[in-house]
Parts: sequence; structure tokens; C-alpha cells
Amino acid sequence: MRVGIVCPYSLDVPGGVQNHVMDLAEALITLGHEVSVLAPADEDAPLPPYVVAAGRSVPLPYNGSVARISFGPVSTARVRRWLARGDFDVVHVHEPFTLSLSMLAVLSAERPVVATFHTAMTRSRAMVAAQGLLQLVLERITARIAVSALARKVQVEHVGGGAVEIPNGVAVAKFAAAAPLPGWPGEGGAVGFLGRFTEPRKGFVLLRAAFAELAAARPGLRLLVAGPGERDELLDGLPAGLHDRVTYLGKVSEEDKARMLHSVDVYVAPNTGGESFGMILTEAMAAGTAIVASDLDAFRRVLDGGRAGALFPVGDVAALQTRVGELLDDPERRSGLAEAARQVVTEFDWPMVAERVLEVYETAIEATVGRVIDEEPV
Amino acid sequence: MWWVVGVVTVVVLASTYLTWTASRVDRLHARAAAAARALDAHLLRRAAAAAVLAEERAAIELYAAARIALDAPDLATGAPDGAGREAAENDLTRQLRAISLGPDAEALVAASRRLAVARQVYTDLVRDALSVRRRPTVRLLRMTRRHPEPEYFDIDDPILAPVSVTPVSPLS
Repeated sequence: MRVGIVCPYSLDVPGGVQNHVMDLAEALITLGHEVSVLAPADEDAPLPPYVVAAGRSVPLPYNGSVARISFGPVSTARVRRWLARGDFDVVHVHEPFTLSLSMLAVLSAERPVVATFHTAMTRSRAMVAAQGLLQLVLERITARIAVSALARKVQVEHVGGGAVEIPNGVAVAKFAAAAPLPGWPGEGGAVGFLGRFTEPRKGFVLLRAAFAELAAARPGLRLLVAGPGERDELLDGLPAGLHDRVTYLGKVSEEDKARMLHSVDVYVAPNTGGESFGMILTEAMAAGTAIVASDLDAFRRVLDGGRAGALFPVGDVAALQTRVGELLDDPERRSGLAEAARQVVTEFDWPMVAERVLEVYETAIEATVGRVIDEEPV
Repeated sequence: MWWVVGVVTVVVLASTYLTWTASRVDRLHARAAAAARALDAHLLRRAAAAAVLAEERAAIELYAAARIALDAPDLATGAPDGAGREAAENDLTRQLRAISLGPDAEALVAASRRLAVARQVYTDLVRDALSVRRRPTVRLLRMTRRHPEPEYFDIDDPILAPVSVTPVSPLS
């Protein structure tokens, strides 16, 4: 199948959507399909061979953060040329409701269009004002994909219409192969956390309280944290004697994220809510790290009801502390959980996820031509 | 002189808008009809896979449900018996929920999954077509007179769980 994928955000900047697009493209290529990715990027930027650069992008505040996007007559001409040259069986756009290459591609494409919605965006005044335009965009999309139940719910409630739910993939092989950071996890054990620790819903405060208790009783125990923020805020409220037992990596790259997950004995996801999928859990599972997570619906589903990671009641510091302590004391139980996690995570591995995306492509083509494509027997 | 230019401009704009709207109506209805044919094909595939499995396992009730679904009136021809088809498909889904999904049911699980995607897409395309039908211009000029009104195909979610999840207590 010839697939054209459109990424709205510049590949020069790391981000969830960009990673998703690249991983999906690579998985599809591995499965034997022809893939071309159109994305904003400087012409001279080093890019994988399957990426077509659509020129420089401009920073624009959107949905609470800054997105680098391309939009305008020049971009429109480039999108049209790419579509004409590509002769795609299906065009797959990401985040088509942003003023971006994705929206341009939807409006210009004459082939079946599949769209993936990543963010669980809330209805904004801008969206209401642009309702007519969004309806035109929506009408040209044949099949829609949402990466989480939450993103799907937003679809149903705000835009009208449903979407096929296909979870985010995880590059299991990359995460499984990483090496721990030098000197980690160490003799005394190590606990890890990754994410915006300043955001209350990430629940870092719970982990900090539990760690203070655990570290007092275990002289060698260390805490490894990665994510955007300030070190002072991280240590806020922790006894001064424990400060040197906390290592802060700052914001990390994908490679360092994998290494960081290998560097700890127990990964903790103490989130108190609002987590739509729990990408970091599938990454920790792929890395083979034992997990302690809040008993949120999404987490329970990813962890197969507690088989692939220990769960504790949401917001319960004492239970979190007990759970982490038990796992630190029991290497056998840790490897048991990691083994179960490795089995469960295959469901989220990119080749599996890409197969399901291909089924949506086929459905979109079928819904356009009006008959079922005959696939080779598996 | 200028009023001539003005009138011509208005006429040109209005006719462009009307032509564009008419082609939009045609496009959305053609797509909904095509999606109906694809959905129909996926329904038949699932019923056929169920019939094969029923024969292998000598499951009489499942076989009967699969036969009834296979013989149900065609979705695309817009037969008045749409509700009958929905009931037949729901019966089949209920039968399938009750059976054990061994390795021999792999084709059936895949067919059910494909059916779920096809139905989701069909529902969205019907919604798009119905929303354009409600537009005042479209209603006033009866632009839909050549297209029968598409109908939702309302059945239970046909997805079958491929593996049974073993519940484990978070403690232990």
C-alpha cells in the first residue's frame, strides 16, 4: 500500500506526535508498505529518507503551548505537489484541527483520508467560531482514529461522531535494549519517576512523601527523577539530609528515557487522574522495570488488571510506600512482574499497532470504493 | 454600469456556491452508499466465518444464527427490512459471545474486529450525509431528491475479546 502521512509539527523539535509519526512510518515500512511523511522542517535539516520537508515552520501559540507549524499559500502548493507526486492509496493526517499541513492536506486530498486525534482538546471559543471550517475538514475525513479512550470521548462529545480507538504504540525493542546509566541502580535500590513533577495530577508529592519515609529506613535507597522543572521545586519539603539521595536529570531525550527506566528497580506512576493512556507505563513495561501505579482506569487496563504491575489506591501515600517497599525487598517478585509486563506490552508494540492502523486504512479505502479489498490469507 | 458588474458578481458567486453545495451533497451521499456496501460485505464475511466455525464444532444454534444473518436482506439495496437485519446480526453477536475463542476462531475474531471498524466508519459517514441534508439551502432546493436518506446501522459492538484477562488482586 502507498501511504502518505502528514505530521503538523516540525520534526526539528521532539514531541509526542512527531515520535508517533516516525515510529508508525518505520513500522509500516518494515511491514513492506511504501511510506512518505510530509512535515515542516528546514530543507537542510538531517531527515530520514522517507520524510519530505515542507519548509520552515513558524511558532504559534496553540492550545496552551507553542506549536511550530506551516500554513499559507506556499505550504498549500507544497502539499498539493506532494499529494500529486505521491499517488497515495490513503492519506493519513495527524491532528487535522490545527491550522497546519494536516488541515491543508485534508482539504486538498482526493484520496481516502484517515485522521488521528492525539490530544484530548476541550472545546475552545476558537473552535466554536471556526465550526463551519471544521465541519468542512471533518467531512473530508473518511476514518478517524483516537489514541485513547479520553481522546475518543472528546471526539464524540465535541465534534460529533466517533473514532476507532487504537492505542499509542511503543518501540519495545528500543526500550528493551537500552543500558542503565553508569552506577545505577546500585546496591541500595533505586526508585524512578518521569514527568512534570510540578503538575499536581502527576502525583509526585505522594511519591516524595513515600520516599522520605522509605529512605529514612533504607540507607542506600535513591530516587531518580526526569522531566521538565526546577530542582528546588523537586526537593521542596524533603528533609535536607535526603537531598543528595535524589538525582535529577532534567528533560531527557528518548534514548536517555530508555536508559533512565533501566536504571531503577521500581518505576512509580502516582498520578491522581486525568491520564488518558499512560504511555510511560508501556515504556517502563518494555524496559522490563517493575511498576507501582495508581489504580486509575487507564493504568489498570494497561497493566492488565495488576498482573503486569502493582497497583495502589489513588492518592494513598501509605499504600504506595508499602507497595514500593515490598517490591524493593523482593527481587523475585520484581522479575515476575517484569516478565508479565513484557508479555502484556507486546500488544502495544508498534508492529501490532501498525497492523491495526492498516485495517483502518483498508476500511477507509473500502468505504470509498464500495467493496472489500481482498487481503492475502495470514 | 457599475450595477451591472455588481449583479453579475452576485450571480456568479451564488451559482458557484450552489454548484459547490450540490457536488458536496452528491459526494457525501455517494460515500455513505459506498460505505454501506463495504459494511454489508464485512457483515457477510463475519457470518461466513461464524458458519464455518459452527460446522467445525457442530454448534447447531450458532450455525442457525449465522445462516439467518447470511440470508438477511442486503443492506445496500435499502430494503425496508433494515431492522430485521440488525436483529439477525445482534443474535449472531450474542451467539458468538457465548462460545469459547480457541485458535480455530482466529479468522472469526479478525472478521469481527474489521466489522467493528467498518461500522464505525459507516456511522460517521452517515452522520456527515445527514448533517448536509439538514442545511436550509439543500432542503429548499431539494438537492437530495436523487439520494435516498442514509440510515444508521444500529447493532451491538461486535468486537470479541481475543484473550481472557485473568483478574489478579492488586495486593498479594
